[in-house]
Amino acid sequence: MNSGVKTQCKPSYRILTEEQIKEIHRASLEVLETVGVRVLHEGGVQLLQEAGCRVKGNVVQIPNWLVEESIRSAPSRITMYNQQGQEAMRLEGRNIYFGLGTDLISTYDLETGEIRPSRLQDVANAATVADYCEEVDFIASFALPSDVPTNSMYVECVKAMMEHSVKPIFFTAAGQEDLAVIAEMAAVVAGGASSRGGRRPQGEDVLREKPFLIHYSEPTAPLTHSHGAVRKVFFCAEKGIPICYTPGDMLGATTPVTLAGGIVQATAEALSGIVLHQLKAKGAPIISGFGVVPLDMKTGIFSYGAPDLRLTNSAFADIFHYYEIPMWSTVGTDAFRLDAQAAMEHAFGTLMAALDGANLIHDIGYMGQGLLGNPAAIVMSDEIISYVKRVIRGFDITREKIGLDVIRKVGPGGDFMTQRHTADHFRQELWRPKFLNRDTPKAWMEKGGKSYEEIVVQKALDILATYRAEPLPKDVQQTIDEIASEAAGELAAIQFVA
Amino acid sequence: MSEILNQLKDAVVVGEPEQAHELATQALEADIAPLTAIEEALNVGMQIVGDKFESEEYFIPDLMMATEAMKASMKIFEPALLARQEQRQVLGTVVIGTVEGDIHEIGKSLVATMLSAAGFQVHDLGVDVPVATFVEQVQETGANVVGLSALLTTTMRNQEAVIEALKEAGLREQVKVVIGGAPTGPDWATTIGADAYAENANEAVGVVRQLIGV
Repeated sequence: MNSGVKTQCKPSYRILTEEQIKEIHRASLEVLETVGVRVLHEGGVQLLQEAGCRVKGNVVQIPNWLVEESIRSAPSRITMYNQQGQEAMRLEGRNIYFGLGTDLISTYDLETGEIRPSRLQDVANAATVADYCEEVDFIASFALPSDVPTNSMYVECVKAMMEHSVKPIFFTAAGQEDLAVIAEMAAVVAGGASSRGGRRPQGEDVLREKPFLIHYSEPTAPLTHSHGAVRKVFFCAEKGIPICYTPGDMLGATTPVTLAGGIVQATAEALSGIVLHQLKAKGAPIISGFGVVPLDMKTGIFSYGAPDLRLTNSAFADIFHYYEIPMWSTVGTDAFRLDAQAAMEHAFGTLMAALDGANLIHDIGYMGQGLLGNPAAIVMSDEIISYVKRVIRGFDITREKIGLDVIRKVGPGGDFMTQRHTADHFRQELWRPKFLNRDTPKAWMEKGGKSYEEIVVQKALDILATYRAEPLPKDVQQTIDEIASEAAGELAAIQFVA
Repeated sequence: MSEILNQLKDAVVVGEPEQAHELATQALEADIAPLTAIEEALNVGMQIVGDKFESEEYFIPDLMMATEAMKASMKIFEPALLARQEQRQVLGTVVIGTVEGDIHEIGKSLVATMLSAAGFQVHDLGVDVPVATFVEQVQETGANVVGLSALLTTTMRNQEAVIEALKEAGLREQVKVVIGGAPTGPDWATTIGADAYAENANEAVGVVRQLIGV
C-alpha cells in the first residue's frame, strides 16, 4: 500500500487566493464602515442602530466587528427537503445543486414556435419538466404569468409549483403580504391539511424543521435595502424560511465597471444583508452571493452569458466558501433561440459554476437575458449538468484502474474489447449522453438528420404529454386552494412598493 | 470657427467636463454669442459623438462623458442665454421619472441623458415619483413628452395611473407618453393607452423624435 497519496483525480479550481479574499473582505468592511448602506425601513435602521451602528438619516455605517459576528452566526449548513419531507439538498461546503430561475416574462411556445407573454400554464409546464429531469434539484416559477391578477401572481406560481412537482421551491414574492400567504400554504403541504389554524400551526413547525421553500429577494445596488426587501428579510428570519438575499450589480452602471470594484461593493451589499438578517434572528438560515453582471456598453442590456460574469461568480464562490456561508450561483444565455449561442453560454456557465463549488446554482434553462423561458432549454441544461458532473467527478488511479495486469495480458498489438476489465469498468468510466449526437453521419441522416434543438423540443413536448408528478393529497390541495382564493381579495387591494 | 470653439467641440468629443467648463467660460469672455457656441461647438461635437457611437468606436460610457461635458458647458451658457433673453433651440421638453413605489434608476437616467444629448430639455424627476408630481411637472414645464419607467410588475400599473391622471387634468392631449422597463412592453403600452414603448435608451431617442415629429 502507499501512504498519503490520493487516488481520485478531480479538477480543482479557484480564482482567489486566501490573501486576495482577505483583501476584498477588508475593502468591503471599509465600505460598510465608512460609506454605509441606505436602509429604507425604519425598523431596520433602528435595529442596526441599537446593535451599534452609526446612523446618519437612513444611511447606516456598520462597524467591522458586527459584520464579522454576523458572518459567524449565519449557519454554515442548510439542509433542504422536498415537499414530502425527504432530504433533498445539503447546502454546505462544496456541494453543488442545480435548479430553475423565476419570473421570465416571455415564453417560447413549443407548439407554435412563437415568443409570447408567459402564462400560469408555463409555470406548471416548467415544474413538470423539471420534476422529470434527474439533474434538476430544485424548481422555481420559470415564468411570470400575465394571465393572473398581478398581486396574486407569486401565490399562484407557488401553488402551481406545489401541484406539479415535489422538489424544493425557490420563489419570489411581491411583498411580505403574499409571502405570508405562501408560507401558510407551505405549512399545510408540510404538516397536512388538518394542521391549518390554531395559534401555532404545527405545519409551520414542520416547515421550520424540514424547509422546502427558499425565498429569493435582493438588496438594490448601489448599497441600498428597500422597504419591501427589509420586510421580506425580517419575515423569513422570524419564520426560519431560508432566504437567498443577493444583490444584482451592473458593472459600470450601479457598481464600478472594474470587476474588483464590483466584487467589493457587492460583497458589502451581501454582508449588510446578512447583518440585518442575523440581527433579526440569530442563526436563521441565509444563502448569499451576488450577481455582478456586465451592462452591454452598446445595447444597454444586462448580460447573462458574459465571460466577465463567470469571473465574478467564481469570486463570490471563493469568498463565501471562506466565510462558510452557503451561496447561490447563476447561469443563463442572452440568446433568444435555443441555438449555438444558448448552448455555448449555458455550457460555460454551468461548468464554471460547478468548478466554483457553488451550492445553489439557479437559472438553468434561462434564456434571452433573463426575459425568456423555454422548457426545452431545461432539457438541454439537464444534459449539460450531467456532462459537467462527469468532468467534476474526474477519474481514479488505483492499481485496478491503472490495469497493468490487463495491459500485460493484452500485450503489444492485442485488443481490449473482449477483456473482463473493459466490461467491468466501461459504465463508470465513459459518460453516455442522452441527446447529444453520437451517431455516424449515415445513421444520423436515416433518423431524420435532426438538430439538437429539434430533439430537446420534442423531448420537452413528450414529457409534458406523458409525465405527471405525484399530486398533492386531495385535502391538502383543497386547503391551499382555499388559502389562495381567500387571500386574493386582500392582496388585490395592496399597493406593493419596491 | 474660432480656436476656442474648436477646442470646446473637442472637449465635448473626448468627454472632458472640466475642460469644457473652462472653455465655455473663455468663449463668453471672448464675446462669442452663447447660441453660436452651442450650435458650433456643442451640437457639432455631439453629432460627432453620435456618429462614433453608430460606428462602434464609442460606447455608452463615452456617450456619458461627452454628455457630462456638454452639461458642464450648458451651466455656463444657460445663464448667459437667459440674460440675453434668448433660448436654445430644443427639440422638445421631457418630464421623465421612475413611477411611485419603484426605486430603480439606471435605465431611466440613461434615457434622460440620451434625450438631453439629442437636444431635448429634460426634467428628470428621479425615482418613486408620485402620480400627482408627474402631472404637476407637466403643467409647470409645459412638457410635450412624458417618460415613465417601471422595473417591477407590481409597480408598472402606476404607469397606467399617471396616464389616467393626465387625462383627468386635461393634459393628455398635450403630451406623448413613452413607457419603458423590463416587465413592460409594446402590448402593455397599448393596454394602458401610452403612445409608445422604448426598449432601451438608444431606441428611446428615435421613438420620441418620431412621436413629436422632429
